[in-house]
Amino acid sequence: METTSTLLTWIIFTPLIFSFIALLFPTAFEGKLRTLTLIQTLISALLATVMYFQFDGSLATAQMQHFMSWLPDWGLNYIVSIDGISLPLVMLTAYVAPVAILGTWPSHGVELKKEKFFVMMLMFLQTGMYGTFLASDLFLFYFFWEVVLIPMFFLIGIWGGKERIYATVKFFLYTMVGSLLMLVAIFYMVKTSADLNGIASASFSNLSKIPFAFDNRSLLLALQSPQVLLFLAFALAFVIKVPMVPFHTWLPDAHVQAPTVGSVFLAAVLLKLGTYGLMRIAIPFFPQAAYYFREFFILMGVIGIIYGAFCALAQTDFKKLVAYSSVSHMGYIMLGLFSFQKVAMAGSLYQMINHGISAGGLFLIVGFLYERLHTRNLSDFGGLSKTVPLMAIGFMIMTLSSVALPGSNGFVGEFPILLGAFQVEPMYALFAGTGVILGAVYALKAYQLVMLGPATRTDLDHLHDLNLKEITAMIVLTLFVFGIGFFPKTFFGKSDSSLNVYTSTILEKVGTNEYQ
Amino acid sequence: MNINSIFPLQSLGYSEIMQLLPLFIISLGAVFSLIIGTHKEKGHSFAFLTSFIFLVCAIVQSLLNMQLVDVSILGGTLALTQFTKTLSIMILFFALIAVMLTNGQDKKEGLLSEIYALILFASAGMILMVSTTHLLFMFIALEIMSLAIYVMVAMRRTSQFSAEAGLKYFVLGGLASAMLLYGSSLIFGSLGSFELVSLAKILSGMNTISPIFLIGLGLVVAAMLFKIGAFPFHGWVPDVYQGAATNVTAFMGAAVKFTAFLAFAKIAQNLIFISSIPQLKWFQNFIWFVAAATMIYGNFVAIAQTELKRMLSFSTIAHSGYLLIGLYAMNAKDGSTSSLVLYLFFYALANLGSFAIISLFEEKNQKDLHLEQIAGLGMKHPFLGAMLTVFLLSMAGIPLTSGFIGKYGLFSSAVTAGEVPLVVIAVLTSVVSVFYYLRVIVYLFMKESGKEVAKYNPITGAFIAAFVSAVATLQFGIFPKAIIQFIKMISR
Repeated sequence: METTSTLLTWIIFTPLIFSFIALLFPTAFEGKLRTLTLIQTLISALLATVMYFQFDGSLATAQMQHFMSWLPDWGLNYIVSIDGISLPLVMLTAYVAPVAILGTWPSHGVELKKEKFFVMMLMFLQTGMYGTFLASDLFLFYFFWEVVLIPMFFLIGIWGGKERIYATVKFFLYTMVGSLLMLVAIFYMVKTSADLNGIASASFSNLSKIPFAFDNRSLLLALQSPQVLLFLAFALAFVIKVPMVPFHTWLPDAHVQAPTVGSVFLAAVLLKLGTYGLMRIAIPFFPQAAYYFREFFILMGVIGIIYGAFCALAQTDFKKLVAYSSVSHMGYIMLGLFSFQKVAMAGSLYQMINHGISAGGLFLIVGFLYERLHTRNLSDFGGLSKTVPLMAIGFMIMTLSSVALPGSNGFVGEFPILLGAFQVEPMYALFAGTGVILGAVYALKAYQLVMLGPATRTDLDHLHDLNLKEITAMIVLTLFVFGIGFFPKTFFGKSDSSLNVYTSTILEKVGTNEYQ
Repeated sequence: MNINSIFPLQSLGYSEIMQLLPLFIISLGAVFSLIIGTHKEKGHSFAFLTSFIFLVCAIVQSLLNMQLVDVSILGGTLALTQFTKTLSIMILFFALIAVMLTNGQDKKEGLLSEIYALILFASAGMILMVSTTHLLFMFIALEIMSLAIYVMVAMRRTSQFSAEAGLKYFVLGGLASAMLLYGSSLIFGSLGSFELVSLAKILSGMNTISPIFLIGLGLVVAAMLFKIGAFPFHGWVPDVYQGAATNVTAFMGAAVKFTAFLAFAKIAQNLIFISSIPQLKWFQNFIWFVAAATMIYGNFVAIAQTELKRMLSFSTIAHSGYLLIGLYAMNAKDGSTSSLVLYLFFYALANLGSFAIISLFEEKNQKDLHLEQIAGLGMKHPFLGAMLTVFLLSMAGIPLTSGFIGKYGLFSSAVTAGEVPLVVIAVLTSVVSVFYYLRVIVYLFMKESGKEVAKYNPITGAFIAAFVSAVATLQFGIFPKAIIQFIKMISR
């Protein structure tokens, strides 16, 4: 292992350094803490952009590796690197962060509650997210994966809504159940690597080479084989985070209770940790086991798509509607990943980014409305487009992105998934396709109830349109919506060779299996 | 008669004397602080200063001794090796923190100045206990330690709970000590030795064993399980933890557990984990079940607690369960105590720190802090709240804290030993534990203060103790390389 660049480490720890600066900020400047956070997110975005341009898209291997010896006795090291799969997710995090800060800037006269602690948690959260996406060592991955929980726990628990404590404890415990079993799996893998190679190591490059025993003569035998058990341990941790039906119930609670900026991070980035984990660890490390259970995960994904859409349709709470739409959209990613088809798997990666943008944008809109009218009930709105035309435009764009209109980014993600899945699992793809229609129904219904129709409220005098910061946030998101929609190659081009090698390696591993 | 035959001290060489010096220092310190503590007005401060200075001297001397070669004294009963010397330093460190914690707390709770001497006496007993491999010597060391602790528990003289706790602990602890003694004598009767290492040698040459030995071993194991507070022998833990003054609870939870566990590990390694005798398999299985039952019982009962010290006392039972997994894993080929020592050390830090914070918020003679009383305190005292959060997260085993590293080492050693089912039980019950640890954090930061909110009593000693523990917890959580390598090296 050798170090080729320390840039990734800077990306991970810049937010943490800033959180110490925030800690030492004198109380008199409490009002400036948001500005500090904005500066931090912009610096992080700048670093990420530099990284993006340094990234060599023609290589399929991990790049810019930074290696530091951490716990050599247990075979655990600090290894960070980036490849075409983590690249878009890091970029998503880097660009969503400033947008989220700008879009949730507290307006004048709003009393700030423990502002210092709040921004510190935001920065801490970013360190955790970058770390999880960039880690190339399983232990490090787990470390950051758990670290993400702590700031999110406080963000929901302190600054959340009425039922915030219930929601945040539920969120924490759900994630813990999965991740502790994952920890046991990690022990086992490190031990196996030590038995095979003589030295313990938890690095991805080392572990991915280990062929774990797999037996598919019968379900019972399969369930006893190490590969299946390991796969299930990891998959449980990840699908809870995705969330996949039936482990999704923490999500609506957490989303509804979280402060807007928390919801944006949760929807845009945190959910992707789950699918990223599946894509990075669960599927490539245990390909045969994953392939063996693919039908189940596809089924659950499709159920998620349809069930989530129906739930969204039934909501009267705007935020809950968006939360259930997340359940639905994340179902596509599950479908794409587990269809074991080149196009669909690539589409899943695109969908991760696109859902991040559209769900983040929709949560921002919910936040705008809530801050102005202090309600999230869909029937309390109506005819707002005349009073707040800019917000209406922004909302429209995000809605179109969410319903995957061709030309928007959502189409770039969902279309390849459905296309690829149709070739291997036509029935499931057909059902998933109905989700697109249902998605249009609930999204447009929400839009109609909020923005169109007769105005039902009389107290709209103090309802002001988007301010400059909020407009900037929406413009950035809009650029990505249409940029990705029209020029997907420009945005995802650097991932191509990684994705190619990734999918062909997995398909090859699965193909040699007699089960095919 | 030759004087040498009465006092064979002449036979001790320079290096041996030097290595025993820390023990002499703290014993002397204890005597001095007893005497000086009788001063009418300043007795407490003098006793504190004396014990503090002597402890620091003992730590410095032990650190210097680390370079000396290993010796065994008194015909091999007292082995002063790199390993036991490190354990002694850890014990002295816990005692130092406990002494700091007691300073200030003593006046508030009306504790006598003798408590400082008792802490030193107890730590002398602990050092002997981790250093010896002789069953009788172990009994004596256990008594030196326990008698001091019984008095410390009962020392809150105006509190009825403290008297209750002291009596309970004394009667039950006396029973346990008697079992250890009786068990040892049965073992001696059947095999003709008190020395653990030679017993292990005798045992590994046999393939069957007399029932007398098994009864003796059973009694010894029961005594040790009592001292560590494992499931069927845990009854005293909650009451004693609650009734004792918080500084005493902190010291007990950290140091007594540390000592008792390492002593138990020694016994288990030499008497139970011997593959040649089939009957010993019963004991191994017994430890398996005790570990599982302790984790399940401790964690599930802790959920129902609404008082802080009581909750932590049940959580300490649960931690005994996790530790028993590590102990069980020593059964494997090349199993070692290193992960056990790491976990115990990290747990002791979190334990000392959390009780230090609790002691800052307690009134005189208060039995316990109710969760309602700490509502909103994290917001009022962000620094203290953050420290308590760090300790609780460390006990829950969340990354960034040393508790995670400890848990990782412990569980991975168990997986390496092939004990996956036990580890799965452990991780599932630790999800339960996350719930009750989080609840404290929820009360600290997310609830509004009620009517009966606890008052902050600034005590410098406790604050420093908490701060030192918090820094150590984070330091070892993020950069654990040095300590892991060190402990691995010495426990070889």
